[in-house]
Amino acid sequence: MSMKNKLSRMKGHLNIEEKPSVQKVNQLPQATDIPFIEKWNEHHTTAYYLDEQYCLIREVRYPIDTIHGNYSFTDFQTIVSLWNESNLEHPLSAKGLNSEDLFFFDTETTGLGAGAGTSIFLLGYAFFSGEEVIVRQHILPQPGSEVPFYHSFLEKINYETLVTYNGKAFDWPQVKTQHTLIKNHVPLLPEFGHFDLYHASRRLWKNKLERVKLANVESEILGFSRQDDIPGYLAPIIYFDFVERQDPEILFGVLKHNELDVLSLITLYIHLSRQILQADGYGEESLEVARWLGYLGEKKQSIAAYEQVIQEGTEEDRLAAMHAIAFQKKREKDFDGACQIWQEVSEKGSSKHRREAALECAKLFEHQYKNYSKACEYVEKAFAELPISMDISSSSVMDLHKRLIRLKKKQVKEHLEKDKQSADNRD
Amino acid sequence: MIGKKSLSELIQELRKNENIINWHEIEPKEPKTKPMPSSVDERIKAALQKRGIGELYSHQYTAYETLQKGENIVAVTPTASGKTLCYNLPVLQSVAEDNSNRALYIFPTKALAQDQKSELNEIIDEMGIDIKSYTYDGDTSPSIRQVVRKAGHIVITNPDMLHSAILPHHTKWVSLFENLKYVVIDELHTYRGVFGSHVANVIRRLRRICKFYGSNPQFICTSATIANPKELAEQLTGAPMRLIDDNGAPSGRKHFVFYNPPIVNQPLNIRKSATVEVNHLAKEFLKNKIQTIVFARSRVRVEIILSHLQELVKNQISSKAIRGYRGGYLPKQRREIERGLRQGEIIGVVSTNALELGVDIGQLQVCVMTGYPGSVASTWQQAGRAGRRHGEALILMVAASTPIDQYIVQNPEYFFDRSPESARINPENLIILVDHLKCATYELPLKENEEFGPLDVKDILEYLVEERVIHQNGDTFYWANQSFPAGNISLRSASQENVVIIDQSETANVKIIGEMDRFSAMTLLHDEAIYLHEGVQYQVEKLDWDHKKAFVRQVDVEYYTDANLAVQLKVLEIDKTKKREKSSIHYGDVSINILPSIFKKIKLSTFENIGSGPIYLPEEELHTSAAWLELQEVDETLGEKILEQLLFGISNVLQHVVPVHVMCDRNDIHVVAQIKAAHTQKPTIFLYDHYPGGIGLAEDVYNRFDQVKEAAKNLIRKCPCKDGCPSCIGTEIEGISAKQRSIEVLDQF
Repeated sequence: MSMKNKLSRMKGHLNIEEKPSVQKVNQLPQATDIPFIEKWNEHHTTAYYLDEQYCLIREVRYPIDTIHGNYSFTDFQTIVSLWNESNLEHPLSAKGLNSEDLFFFDTETTGLGAGAGTSIFLLGYAFFSGEEVIVRQHILPQPGSEVPFYHSFLEKINYETLVTYNGKAFDWPQVKTQHTLIKNHVPLLPEFGHFDLYHASRRLWKNKLERVKLANVESEILGFSRQDDIPGYLAPIIYFDFVERQDPEILFGVLKHNELDVLSLITLYIHLSRQILQADGYGEESLEVARWLGYLGEKKQSIAAYEQVIQEGTEEDRLAAMHAIAFQKKREKDFDGACQIWQEVSEKGSSKHRREAALECAKLFEHQYKNYSKACEYVEKAFAELPISMDISSSSVMDLHKRLIRLKKKQVKEHLEKDKQSADNRD
Repeated sequence: MIGKKSLSELIQELRKNENIINWHEIEPKEPKTKPMPSSVDERIKAALQKRGIGELYSHQYTAYETLQKGENIVAVTPTASGKTLCYNLPVLQSVAEDNSNRALYIFPTKALAQDQKSELNEIIDEMGIDIKSYTYDGDTSPSIRQVVRKAGHIVITNPDMLHSAILPHHTKWVSLFENLKYVVIDELHTYRGVFGSHVANVIRRLRRICKFYGSNPQFICTSATIANPKELAEQLTGAPMRLIDDNGAPSGRKHFVFYNPPIVNQPLNIRKSATVEVNHLAKEFLKNKIQTIVFARSRVRVEIILSHLQELVKNQISSKAIRGYRGGYLPKQRREIERGLRQGEIIGVVSTNALELGVDIGQLQVCVMTGYPGSVASTWQQAGRAGRRHGEALILMVAASTPIDQYIVQNPEYFFDRSPESARINPENLIILVDHLKCATYELPLKENEEFGPLDVKDILEYLVEERVIHQNGDTFYWANQSFPAGNISLRSASQENVVIIDQSETANVKIIGEMDRFSAMTLLHDEAIYLHEGVQYQVEKLDWDHKKAFVRQVDVEYYTDANLAVQLKVLEIDKTKKREKSSIHYGDVSINILPSIFKKIKLSTFENIGSGPIYLPEEELHTSAAWLELQEVDETLGEKILEQLLFGISNVLQHVVPVHVMCDRNDIHVVAQIKAAHTQKPTIFLYDHYPGGIGLAEDVYNRFDQVKEAAKNLIRKCPCKDGCPSCIGTEIEGISAKQRSIEVLDQF
């Protein structure tokens, strides 16, 4: 029995899904004989040759005053100047760079797994050049053309300044894996610097957005909505279909999707930078920005950001900012200032803040003002603010208990001493 | 208290026991040693010296020197002969010479890998060289995985991990693959059948990746005694091997004794329970404080024997000194027992075959086996647990009533004269091969002319292109699918789509206890089936065939179930034929349609049929390889009815005998008799591999049929029953001298 016969007999055991068979175009392309090359050319796509192989490169140009979402691309130039003027040290800072240095980068892959067999078939990036924004996309015409694909990419891009959305964890490791497979045929892959906008977005909007996906950020934050977009998860299937039939038409949707992704990264970078630099005064992200700056150790900038929230923010944000400022004051030993704020927060803040503020008041009254009865009051207030669902054996509850017992003892001791004193005085 | 008896005294007493039916003595052996090779690093020498190792046994020496010459080796080493030094010495030496050198250790199980790591790290500490060895398995925490990949000199793993985690992500293991000097495959003999066939393909993939990164590691295999270690190692690794079997470890005199419990029911040929006899025999040794290991076939048996023994000797020794040992004990507990045995604090241990594998428990004085362990190789391994380097040792095999046990103890020459079984694999099994070609293509694009085992795989690759799993570009094939192929391929299961077995005995703790290929599931996991899992009885409450789930609950019943299958066999192609005077024997491809019909409940002790029920399941189709025996001339006087009964009886015997001869599980090969085979209308007995595509068992039967036939005749002849019993041809067939006639029929083949 021939091998193929055997194979089709055993098909049921072979773990292969039945699929409709499709007529396939499967010749080794000659340098002059790229399927549908006219159609490609019509869509701004040209071939890149390297030894007997080729890949395709699509290039689309946008005037710099194009509006994408809530911003125009010219705003990007403004923001790069702002970064250069600012002294803030921040992971997203473009200090020392000019606007033509950044590459807004995204890939499309044949699967989500990180193994060697998941390949990248589209490397797309946007960058500024004179009065234009250029989107360039390197397309893998079929598996096996990786050498011209990566070669063209590596010679054209500056990998020290890639801007991505989750590229640190996803896109770049994939590039590294695929590069390892052909490293003898293409330039070395250097270590690279990276602006990852996903982490920034998560910081600012994780409470606001259910999932901090780029598509959600676009529609909810950046004021950009897509029409007839191809969802990213369909990309692998579409690509394999394209590999068989080679008709560019099949891939246009995915190309457009990737193009919008990289353009949105520009808008997102502008928006994030404006928030971080407080360029637009108070906004709904200001509180998170202030926290982030605090986390990064940018004390002055962080306090300035909190101050702005206190001045202009909603009541809720204002109280949250004051709460944060109070901690700062306490560290600076401005106990009166801190105590004043916390007394207010313990009345008006969110439930969590009321509890924390009450506890902080209790500490101040106990240790700084030695006013144990006042401290007791605040501990009891903190108790009252405990959520009903709180496990009574949890450490925060136990701590409150201990604190209360200690305070009561101190109160008794104080009384006894006072009694003794007055007795002594009477003597 | 009266003075204790010594082992020799007890041996003298035992010689008088009337149930002993064979006594075999193995002469003692002196050690053969060689001086430590001068090329060995001084720090290693010093570390070994500290452990009292000043020179090497001959096999360790040969292993080291052969590896230095650049050859691959397979070392056959009985239990406790210092086999770990065969690989640790050359591996440590290579890292001592060049810190960038790497080694990969492959153990069949996670537990053995852990053991090895502790032992290895002890030596490394004493050496004072910065050598990092890590285990890499499902338990390795993500935080240290990075370190293992980049900096581990010795990575200790199992084939499953290599298959699904290391190879598909080889780009993260560049420093390992670029510098890989040695691949160690321990317990080589465990890689047989379907599992071994898979692992051979995993090794092919490993060698491809190494080649890609420019390394060409040497292989170091170690194996228990099997008939074909060199052949197996070569098949598994695809590399030429040097066999090292000059074991130089010393051993004392060994007595190998077969014990057959007395018959308690003459007509049914039922003997006294082996378990009861084992309890009494073991007690004698334990109460005289002679270190004894008792092997039992299942976890439950272990627990039963353990509690009996603890009870029997409770006044003489503390119950802490007799322990159980089986899968399911926590690693910490197991380490404690192993240590106790080595240091002599534990006098007795009752174990499943878990202690057959290379766990270090030192050497005991007596080994008692409850029943025949199932293969010659396995028996020798268990026997190897007893026998110190000096002094006597006793190995006692107590037979159960099963046909195979009875056959073995009544034919001692079968056991002692023949070499242990061969371990067979068939890496070219189409289904397995296709699976691993997918994985290989995923890992690295595959060139048209690239070798992947001895078969020309171009046809398979083209087929996969047609199925749109891979893509051809010029002379190279690329993975072109969004799935992760290794994720769907399990090395240990038979067929891909497995039935998951879910234990719902405790409502609060519903858990998965195992999985089974769907062909076996039809007969073993149908509704109401009694399913034995590691010796525990479960009843199947519901088999959800659509979702491939079997819900079981633990029970304690006195019967087992046996399913009847309506089997249709079609011969697709005849590959080989042997013509005999009155018959012919064929080997080829068959298709089998299986429809389970009813199941019977059979009493455990007497094999009585005590009930039955229907099975409702859809028909299954299996394409596999088979050997079949065809009668060309039929003795007209016999009558069709009687001939059919005789064929059934012979099938029953073959079903018992064949697994012993081809070293497989009883379930791996099936025997079916047909009075009129569909393709010829002739009386035929089929023996087919119970795995799609076949794994080489039927072919083995075809090649060695005369041996199998003699064993079958012998079993029938030596069975003490009058004219057929469940231990031989199944049932008694009234008044036709069935045993004699069965032998006559067998003689025609």
